[in-house]
Amino acid sequence: MREDIEKVYQEALKGIENASSLDQLSKLRIRYLGRKGVLTGLLRSISSLPPEERPEMGRVANQAKKSLEKAFQTALERLEKEASLRTEAIDVTLPGRPIALGRLHPITQITREVCEIFLRLGFDIVEGPEVETDFYNFEALNMPKDHPARDMQATFYISENTLLRTHTSPIQVRTMERESPPVCIIAPGKVYRVDSDISHTPMFHQVEGLMVDRNVCFRDLKWVLTTFVHQIFDEATSLRFRPSFFPFTEPSVEVDIRCVICRGDGCRVCSHTGWLEILGAGMVDPAVFEKVGYDPDTYTGFAFGMGIERIAMLKYGIEDIRKFYENDILFLNQF
Amino acid sequence: MKVSLSWLEDYVSIELGVNRLADALTMAGLEVDSVKERYEYLDTVVVGRIVDIADHPNADRLSVCKVDVGGRMLSIVCGAPNICKNVLVPVALPGTRLPGGNTVRADIIRGELSEGMICSEEELGIGEDSRGILILSGSHRLGTKLSHALDLSDTVIEFDLTPNRPDCLSIIGVAREIAAIQKTRLKRPKVRLSEAKESIQGFTSVTIEDPVLCPRYAARILTDVHVTPSPFWLKDRLLSVGLRPINNLVDVTNFVLMETGQPLHAFDLDRLIENRIVVRRAQDGERFVTLDGVERILDSETLMICDGKRSVALAGIMGGLNSEIVAGTTRVLIESAYFNPSGIRKTAKRLGLSTEASYRFERGVDPEGVIFALNRAAQLMRQVGGGTVIHGLIDEYPRPVTKKIIYLDVKQTNRLLGTQLDRDEIADLLKAIELDVTVIDEERIRVVPPSFRVDLERPVDLIEEVARIWGYNRIPTTHPINLARGKRLNKRLRVRERLRELMVGCGFREVITYSFISADSCDQLSLSPEDSRRRLVHIRNPLTEDQRVMRTSLIPGLLYAVSRNIKQGNTDLRFFELGNTFFYTRSDQLPEEIEMICGIWTGNRYDKSWCYKDIQADFYDIKGVVENLCQGMNIPGVHFSSLTGNHFPYFRHGYAAEISCGSSRVGALGEISHDVLKNFALKDPVFAFDINLEILLDCIPDEKKAKRLSRFPGVNRDTSLILDKDIEAQAIISFIDGLHEELLEKLYIFDMYPLADDKKSLGFRITYRSFERSLTDEEVNRIHKRIVQKVVDHFHAELPRG
Repeated sequence: MREDIEKVYQEALKGIENASSLDQLSKLRIRYLGRKGVLTGLLRSISSLPPEERPEMGRVANQAKKSLEKAFQTALERLEKEASLRTEAIDVTLPGRPIALGRLHPITQITREVCEIFLRLGFDIVEGPEVETDFYNFEALNMPKDHPARDMQATFYISENTLLRTHTSPIQVRTMERESPPVCIIAPGKVYRVDSDISHTPMFHQVEGLMVDRNVCFRDLKWVLTTFVHQIFDEATSLRFRPSFFPFTEPSVEVDIRCVICRGDGCRVCSHTGWLEILGAGMVDPAVFEKVGYDPDTYTGFAFGMGIERIAMLKYGIEDIRKFYENDILFLNQF
Repeated sequence: MKVSLSWLEDYVSIELGVNRLADALTMAGLEVDSVKERYEYLDTVVVGRIVDIADHPNADRLSVCKVDVGGRMLSIVCGAPNICKNVLVPVALPGTRLPGGNTVRADIIRGELSEGMICSEEELGIGEDSRGILILSGSHRLGTKLSHALDLSDTVIEFDLTPNRPDCLSIIGVAREIAAIQKTRLKRPKVRLSEAKESIQGFTSVTIEDPVLCPRYAARILTDVHVTPSPFWLKDRLLSVGLRPINNLVDVTNFVLMETGQPLHAFDLDRLIENRIVVRRAQDGERFVTLDGVERILDSETLMICDGKRSVALAGIMGGLNSEIVAGTTRVLIESAYFNPSGIRKTAKRLGLSTEASYRFERGVDPEGVIFALNRAAQLMRQVGGGTVIHGLIDEYPRPVTKKIIYLDVKQTNRLLGTQLDRDEIADLLKAIELDVTVIDEERIRVVPPSFRVDLERPVDLIEEVARIWGYNRIPTTHPINLARGKRLNKRLRVRERLRELMVGCGFREVITYSFISADSCDQLSLSPEDSRRRLVHIRNPLTEDQRVMRTSLIPGLLYAVSRNIKQGNTDLRFFELGNTFFYTRSDQLPEEIEMICGIWTGNRYDKSWCYKDIQADFYDIKGVVENLCQGMNIPGVHFSSLTGNHFPYFRHGYAAEISCGSSRVGALGEISHDVLKNFALKDPVFAFDINLEILLDCIPDEKKAKRLSRFPGVNRDTSLILDKDIEAQAIISFIDGLHEELLEKLYIFDMYPLADDKKSLGFRITYRSFERSLTDEEVNRIHKRIVQKVVDHFHAELPRG
């Protein structure tokens, strides 16, 4: 008898713990504790035992019954809580309530990055007019009228002597006219050239830089531009300095970086050379110093310039420069 | 500028592989643009076998051939006299571009299909035989590329030369750079002339009337020449660099031009009136027909080559039709001259005519190379055109170009470059590029650049050469001691970035639109005739009609961006732009540039989502943005008033407000008018603000100052008033502000709804707070009641009943 009670008890307990619904639980209750339940039957049969065994068996059976009642109660609470949680739960996979997300134009973002790097190096930011005189845009930069170098920059003219600046270099001249050395500036801004295709827009952005002081040398230029390239791309980017020509610098240099797309193996973006032109620079030509009244025997300096679109295209993998000015929201949303 | 390796090898032995060579040239400052296989154009010409020949049914002199090109049988119509069965021939497949300029196409020729072309040597640009098709000797697999079968190979390098290096605009010039890179020898062609006895003086004369524009003019004469097509070697050289052969005499002038960089011109001596040359300026308005058949109108700045009576060539740019070499020419005058670079450039620019000659003259040819080129041309013309070279030459050189002497300081060189080169190293570097170098003392050297290096004039030019030959990449890289002296950013830059942050915070996308817009955008914005935004700055040479003027407002660009996006199906848009506008001032002055910030909002208030209904944005949305901007910039005294006057005609009447800060009017905001929307093909409402940043800047406090805050709790009191509909909320706010109630901390309107009878209900909440103590209810009630009573009295308002 004792073994029977123990067996039924264990069996019932297991059933209760595994019960996964209220319905299942109430069926179990009827099965064990109902009027015709198994344990109830056992309790009833105690009366047929010999009188000396009855108290002991009665105690055991009642103990089992009490324990089961308690187990039923616990299970009931557990299942009821589960059920109510189930009905109260929300669909956490529904999208969140949208908060309008503004974004800066990619050109603004890159301009900021470029400016921040130079600000950290101690350069100041200076701006100038977008409509310029021929003097500031060309003459003062050692490009007299009829200089073939003017062919390098097809110009929008407003009148004989006013034009849309073709580079931000006029700001160099305006700054040097206004301030005496040392000068250490960058000049970001819009520039304009008569050109429109997959790699040219008639308006684009440049950042120009200028550093003038006693004893500024080519070695310094290399450091500043190397540091810049390492910060705007990454430290592993290798550079090369290549002779070039600008009327306002001598020596002039073109800075190439290892193609960021193919890492130098040669691809369409770098015309299979493994290198990308990224910056023009050079030591300020003494003729420019003379125009602004700096003594070229006392002062030396370097200047550099770069296209923001170019950097943005390389960093973001944009192939068509015109995308920047179509202002398609789907394009803008990516940056 | 193109050069072919095979031509270069006439003057320098090339020891580097082609890629290494291209790289080395680029690093020497001659930027290589491309390296191409010369015979790429023959990639679609294959070896074929003629397996059958039938007469062309509709043409006596044509045949129809069946040609096996390796697995494919083509039908090709051919007129060559030397066709026969079972020979191997070159077959140009459709798409082939022949050097003569024609493209081979599959076509019906007099009723018969022709699927390609069987070519002669001459047609393929690989030989001179044009009498019949090329019959290939030896055995080749059918379908093999002809260039493989004949082992045709040459490399063409194209340079993107900077304007300071005209000396490299020739094969010899490039060869010289290669020799310097390889440290090998340059082989200049030897010129040996056998001349006739008769002296040139008996044939012609040269008079220079303008020695400034023409410092040097030299000439030679050949007689009894025959004008014929050039021999193959000559054509081949020209074709290799992309020039088209014309006839032997003209080809020689082009050959020498490419070889030496000296432009030449050949005149038919018998077509020169009085057989002589006069160099002078044209008359104003003179008309002249150049070789290309175009009549050009000249001015007195134009330098002309004339004969005894009339102009015969546009000096340094292009010859004239009236004196060109023709089939019957027998006596030739060869011109080799040095023209003033800026004179040529002015004329070429004015006429919009750029030629191989003008391109070189305007950059500067070698004034001392004139005679060599002249003799070289005479030698070659005799070689390919027969005839006799008349004895002697004319060399009018009234103003010899003086040799420049430059003194270079070793210290200065090292100071500019940051190097530690010694005197002898510097001297050696300069000698390597044919500079005449003499050491003066420990610190100085004397340099005489060769005449072809017109770019070397000052010590700094030599320093660049030192750096270039030494190698830019060998110059050390060091931290400049002069760095780090940064100043505070100016206010405009700081404000601009803060505004951007605020706009982004309001959920706006920044756009950048072109600064130039179409001239009718003023009309599109309904601007009045006297509106200052009609002071347009016009571009003389716009790219397109809709980029004709500089913008005086950012609104058209933004509306255009909106319209463009809506066409793409994106209708919920919030854009802003920061940028300059341009106003005409006086013809001798730069325009006034005014920086503006504009925002635009159209479509839904909220991004599309399951949890928001589609509600269109309205006036109060854009106003909220502007309020955010002003608060974010801590601008005091901002107020909005109903827009009056005609300054913002593009806003809808009654749905627009003027924005002021204190007494400064910084801009306006509102709904864009229907008329303007129509002009930009827009239908749905668009809201915008238009703020002048120049004025706004002055309203923004330079510093932010923290206020002392009270430790005591605030007490709120709400009141609703019934008012006449046309009493503006701002009037109530200003009135209460004007009461200067000390304990009043904040006032805001929490409710507004219209009522019948032109009334409305306005609910406002006032927060009271003291710095000294917690306020009691009675105290607050007393003050509040007093304020409300004053408002009621002043505005004839009513309190709601019940």
